Amino acid sequence: MRADARIAWNLARGSDRREWWRIALTAVGALLATVFALAAITVASVRGQVSIPFGQGLLNQPGERSGVVVALLLLLIPVLGLLGQCARIGAVHRDRRMAGLRLAGASPAQVRRISALESAPACLAGSAGGLGAVAVALAVQGHTPPATAWVAFVVVVLGVPVAGALVSVLALRRVVASPLGEVRRVRPERGSRTLLVLSVAALPIAVGAYALVVRGSSPAAASFPMLVFGLVFLTGAGAVWTAGSSAAHIGRRLAESAKSPAVMIAAGRLRDDPWAAARTHATLLLVTVVGIAFVGVREVVLADLRGKGIHTPEGIAFYTTGIDLTGAAILVAFAISLFGLAVGTAESLATRRRGLAAQTAAGVPHTVLARATLLETALPLAPAVLLATIGGMAVHLAYTAVAAPGTVPSVLPLLVPVAVYAASLLAAATSLPLLRRMAHPAELRFA
Amino acid sequence: MSTRNENPSGAAEPMIGATGLTKQYGRSQALRGASVTLRAGEILAVTGASGSGKSTLLHCLAGIVRPDEGEVSYGRERLDRASENRLSELRRTDFGVVFQFGQLIPELTVRDNVMLPLLLAGTDRAAAQDRADEWLERFGVRGQAALRPGELSGGQGQRVALARAWVTGPKAVFADEPTGALDSLAGEQVMTALVHAARESGAAVLLITHDAQIAAYADREVWLRDGAVHSGATPFAVQEAAHHEG
Amino acid sequence: MSTRHILLGLLAGSPCHGYDLKRRYDELFPQARPLAYGQVYTTLQRLVRDDLAAVEGTDSDGGPERTLYRSTDRGADELAAWAQGVTPPAPFVTNEIFAKVVISLLVAGTEGGDRTAEAAMYLQAQRAAHMVRMHELTGLKTTPGADLSTVLSADYALAHLDADVRWMATTATRLTTLTAEVDAV
Repeated sequence: MRADARIAWNLARGSDRREWWRIALTAVGALLATVFALAAITVASVRGQVSIPFGQGLLNQPGERSGVVVALLLLLIPVLGLLGQCARIGAVHRDRRMAGLRLAGASPAQVRRISALESAPACLAGSAGGLGAVAVALAVQGHTPPATAWVAFVVVVLGVPVAGALVSVLALRRVVASPLGEVRRVRPERGSRTLLVLSVAALPIAVGAYALVVRGSSPAAASFPMLVFGLVFLTGAGAVWTAGSSAAHIGRRLAESAKSPAVMIAAGRLRDDPWAAARTHATLLLVTVVGIAFVGVREVVLADLRGKGIHTPEGIAFYTTGIDLTGAAILVAFAISLFGLAVGTAESLATRRRGLAAQTAAGVPHTVLARATLLETALPLAPAVLLATIGGMAVHLAYTAVAAPGTVPSVLPLLVPVAVYAASLLAAATSLPLLRRMAHPAELRFA
Repeated sequence: MSTRNENPSGAAEPMIGATGLTKQYGRSQALRGASVTLRAGEILAVTGASGSGKSTLLHCLAGIVRPDEGEVSYGRERLDRASENRLSELRRTDFGVVFQFGQLIPELTVRDNVMLPLLLAGTDRAAAQDRADEWLERFGVRGQAALRPGELSGGQGQRVALARAWVTGPKAVFADEPTGALDSLAGEQVMTALVHAARESGAAVLLITHDAQIAAYADREVWLRDGAVHSGATPFAVQEAAHHEG
Repeated sequence: MSTRHILLGLLAGSPCHGYDLKRRYDELFPQARPLAYGQVYTTLQRLVRDDLAAVEGTDSDGGPERTLYRSTDRGADELAAWAQGVTPPAPFVTNEIFAKVVISLLVAGTEGGDRTAEAAMYLQAQRAAHMVRMHELTGLKTTPGADLSTVLSADYALAHLDADVRWMATTATRLTTLTAEVDAV
């Protein structure tokens, strides 16, 4: 075990900058996951009706508190997406390294241990940092959670690195089984496997959140949240699927007819790995559905409040604080998803650095490569966002019909997909300075 | 050789001239005062051990990187002073490049890869497709037009790369170890194709290689050692020059 | 190359004149040292003396009188043994270039010049000469319509010259050590 730890340490120490980026980003993801989980535990550990001076008394009632817990739990989904993107950074290189160790005589168990030891510390650093942040926040608020909550804290803080280690061991399956094949592999993983893993991880969170929402309510009352959850998830999944299948379709069609070099390059890449877009956009699309639905529901609720004649500032503030906090949670989820998108785009450029440098050397202008990179995000995202819009608007219309029958639905939610689309392109554009570095002919010196 | 232009003795005018090139990468000095001239229509081999600065010399002459010191002139133009956009344009229109591997975009078909430089030059798709097919035919890889680079053998891949380099009708082609990853028979086919294309099109070729058998395809040879020209351009066709000392 | 066995092999199919033997030899082995008529006839006479070949007869065919030779049974056995026998791979290392380098290190040493630099210069000139020959051979084999015999002969020579060039390159970098070793002997 000590020898394994030393090997893991030596590997990390000798790693390039990219590996350190992965470690740092993984730690950030682990930190976010820990913070959301611990916050959810803290809120959930509060019993009965209390008076907490936070968010206009939002946390006073058990009902509202469970809403906050649900929101915090759902935030874990984009974090998972981000962690999935981080795991892809330098994955080919890492797999090769482990395959090399296998070929050099390391046993399967040894390789698994080394790999676990490589990823666990980053996760532990993140989760410990998360615990620290939550502890500081609690101290500032002067709130001491009960002992059971602390036990749960420890479980989460230790569980995050364990989960990280398990995931990295699972990812090594093929390396352990056929190391020679992995040494030869030059391209990163393709297809929809990561998506499956992501949905398998996201589903229990969603089910848990749903269970919390409908806890103690009658079957009839539980049906509407069921409808909303169902619609959101179906649309989200549909949008992700659309991103993948439309990428394949658009890629095929455009590759055969493209007149512009940038479109041809982008189309070729879409055709080659249609699920790449779906992988990077999955949580973003989910957040889009939620975002559209939220803006719609918010419009109805605010109109309803005005209609009911609640005019006292405190009365309005109680409702709007809840709504605003939900909006803030969605914005946080959106930000995390965009971050994941930026990481994914940067990773895709870094993997292709030598090929990009060769294109530049052959005189392919930087602008063409940059346009191709943006098109790769823009093309499959358009139909997916359209489907997400339809889903989100369906939730909005359903809610309007139930909560305020006869009123005209708002068109404000339609601004959300436009904003999402623009923000996604901006996020992808953040990797363009990296493209300039990656596509530099100096990269040709490194095979 | 009957198919070759009889110009290696120096009748043709210089096309690209470089004098006193130095280039440093981090702590390693890739070039220390290298000078070389590429004449119109000739095939010039640059040989030397690995790390002797061969590739860096090619990068400087092709306007891919700028030397730290020294001059590179292409006709009346100074490549070491030209703008990045101008260099990019030159590499696209007047020059072609072939590397050991990696110059083809793996996601595009062979035909699309060869069409790319034409589309960049503004040729319309149908015409570009015809020209690409024509060059693929010349290099004997027309039958592979619909495949991706990953589905080709090493030799086929390099012949596609040659087609891509030649499709725009370049004045000079820069080939950096074009047969470096091939077995000798495939290497021979690639070199034969390269020599024929050079003779037919009249393009000059700067050929980087560490392999004497590949260098023997050229008209002249320049031998690099430690980033400088160790043995000045030896024309193979003139016997006396064989005893010239650098 | 054993001229005797090659001629025996050419006779194996059907009786032949000396003139035809020379012509076929030159066709089959392009780029080899050309065979002189005198050599063909002395070799044939020795084959007859050793009972490996026999005189089939003479014809004049309108021109001067020519002797027709054929292979004997002993000749066929001898040929089979030779063709199947493995050629000993480099039993002695004969390397004229190496001999010249060593001797010039010794000789120049007695004259007090810079022996190492002189040997390096010799190697460089030799390399250039090798390259010129390699260029010629490459030209021969890439000429459109070149027959396979020419291509294979050129390939054989190219591979050997290439080996020399590589050997010279590594030797050139180790001349100083070699000088010291030569001095120590």
